[in-house]
Amino acid sequence: MSTEDAKLKFQTRGVHVFYGDKEAIKGVDLDIYNNEVTALIGPSGCGKSTYLRCLNRMNDTVDGAKVTGSILLDGTDIYDRKVDVVQLRARVGMVFQKPNPFPKSIFENIAYGPRIHGLASKKSEYDAIVETSLKKAGLWNEVSDRLDEPGTSLSGGQQQRLCIARAIAVSPEVILMDEPCSALDPIATARVEELIDELRENYAIVIVTHSMQQAARVSQKTAFFHLGEIVERGHTEQIFTNPREERTRDYITGRFG
Amino acid sequence: MPNDHIVSSYDKELENLRSSIARMGGLAETQIAGAVDALFKRSAERAEQVVEADKALDDLEIAIEKDAISILARRQPMASDLREIVSALKMSSILERIGDYSKNIAKRVTAINESDNFRIVRTVGDMAHLVQKMLKDVLDAYIDQDAVKAMDVWERDAPVDELYNSLFRELLTYMMEDARAITPCTHLLFAAKNVERMGDHVTNLAEIVFYLVNGEILEDTRPKGDRTSFTVLRPHED
Ligand SMILES: Nc1ncnc2c1ncn2[C@@H]1O[C@H](COP(=O)(O)OP(=O)(O)OP(=O)(O)O)[C@@H](O)[C@H]1O
Ligand SMILES: [Mg+2]
Repeated sequence: MSTEDAKLKFQTRGVHVFYGDKEAIKGVDLDIYNNEVTALIGPSGCGKSTYLRCLNRMNDTVDGAKVTGSILLDGTDIYDRKVDVVQLRARVGMVFQKPNPFPKSIFENIAYGPRIHGLASKKSEYDAIVETSLKKAGLWNEVSDRLDEPGTSLSGGQQQRLCIARAIAVSPEVILMDEPCSALDPIATARVEELIDELRENYAIVIVTHSMQQAARVSQKTAFFHLGEIVERGHTEQIFTNPREERTRDYITGRFG
Repeated sequence: MPNDHIVSSYDKELENLRSSIARMGGLAETQIAGAVDALFKRSAERAEQVVEADKALDDLEIAIEKDAISILARRQPMASDLREIVSALKMSSILERIGDYSKNIAKRVTAINESDNFRIVRTVGDMAHLVQKMLKDVLDAYIDQDAVKAMDVWERDAPVDELYNSLFRELLTYMMEDARAITPCTHLLFAAKNVERMGDHVTNLAEIVFYLVNGEILEDTRPKGDRTSFTVLRPHED
């Protein structure tokens, strides 16, 4: 087994997604590796979010959505009947475009997930999870003395890091991020990007972004989606310095007609 | 040529960059011709013109650098655009260096003229002619985005090096025959060395054009032709 194979986290083959009659994803093959950030880029409506949501079965919650094809997480089909979806979402966490903390305290925002998954029992264990999660998300120093305040009282950038801390708290293996920085200023964005780079050490990360620069900065692999298909995928550096496909080049250089 | 950008002013900026490089290239060609002309015509006046004209190349290089930095900062170029800008930056500084070499040759004209019965060796002119043609072709390759043509130029540096090697030996024999020839021969040798260096720079331009077009770096496997550093010539050897 090559090292690439050893790091393979998600193997997706022939993935199709339908919203009613409309085919939003038309046969996508993509591999996601551990300790890597995979960026999904492409014009609005090309299916990035739809594909991302397949990876933790978030499309199950969308009315009329149907997913076909094979999506293997560590070799196991996540769409298999026997798979516990709640368990799956603990393994494959998600961070959304708009920071969406629960209307609860900062502490509860983090402790909530571990509680429903029964990851801890004693108060001291929750304290430890909250602290390490906030530290990993680079937020601890800013909030350690105000854990009882509502999560919504934080700034946008802090809220997004809180949501990342919340995703980390349940010890996921993969983190999906859908435009996590689109509501953040450049400094908050830089912090989140720094964080993504640190998280890569322990997780596989998939990020959807509209910023070419962000994809180039944070990811190791990039996949370019267009009209529900992957036009080109590869090492990020190659995609952004020397794309092979004309459609990729036109898109990343701002030439899309 | 790729499709147009959505933002049309971006296309104009890249177009300006390209035409500035082409202008520099044209000037650099003229400067080589001018320097060699001054050398063979023994014209101090012509040499002075060449020295003066070098300023234009320096100015263009600065202008290109400013423009390129401004595009980098404002547009965050990607892919072929990024290569275009990086290439323009590198090419402009190489063309500026080529200009310096011409200026250096021109500056030696007065010194060489002081030895009146010294005949300028034809080979320097031949070398300059080859390099000038290479430069012209590499600029065409740049404008046409033609990697094959660039490769062709890249391979044409070896004859220049060979001419330089033979010139070196020829001048050594003159200097041994007649000590009065040492000063003009040395100047001429430096002039020839300048032309040889220009040839090397033109091959660098060819590598840049290759990269610009293909996005891949041409590894330098070309054997170095200048072997004069190892040349030892003993009197009465044969
Ligand atoms: N819930 C839904 N019901 C019906 N169609 C949908 C639904 N969600 C997405 N679509 C359609 O599927 C296609 C892909 O949408 P998706 O949200 O995945 O695109 P995207 O690449 O994430 O776009 P954006 O960059 O704008 O977020 C679009 O044509 C969209 O209209
Ligand atoms: Mg989306």
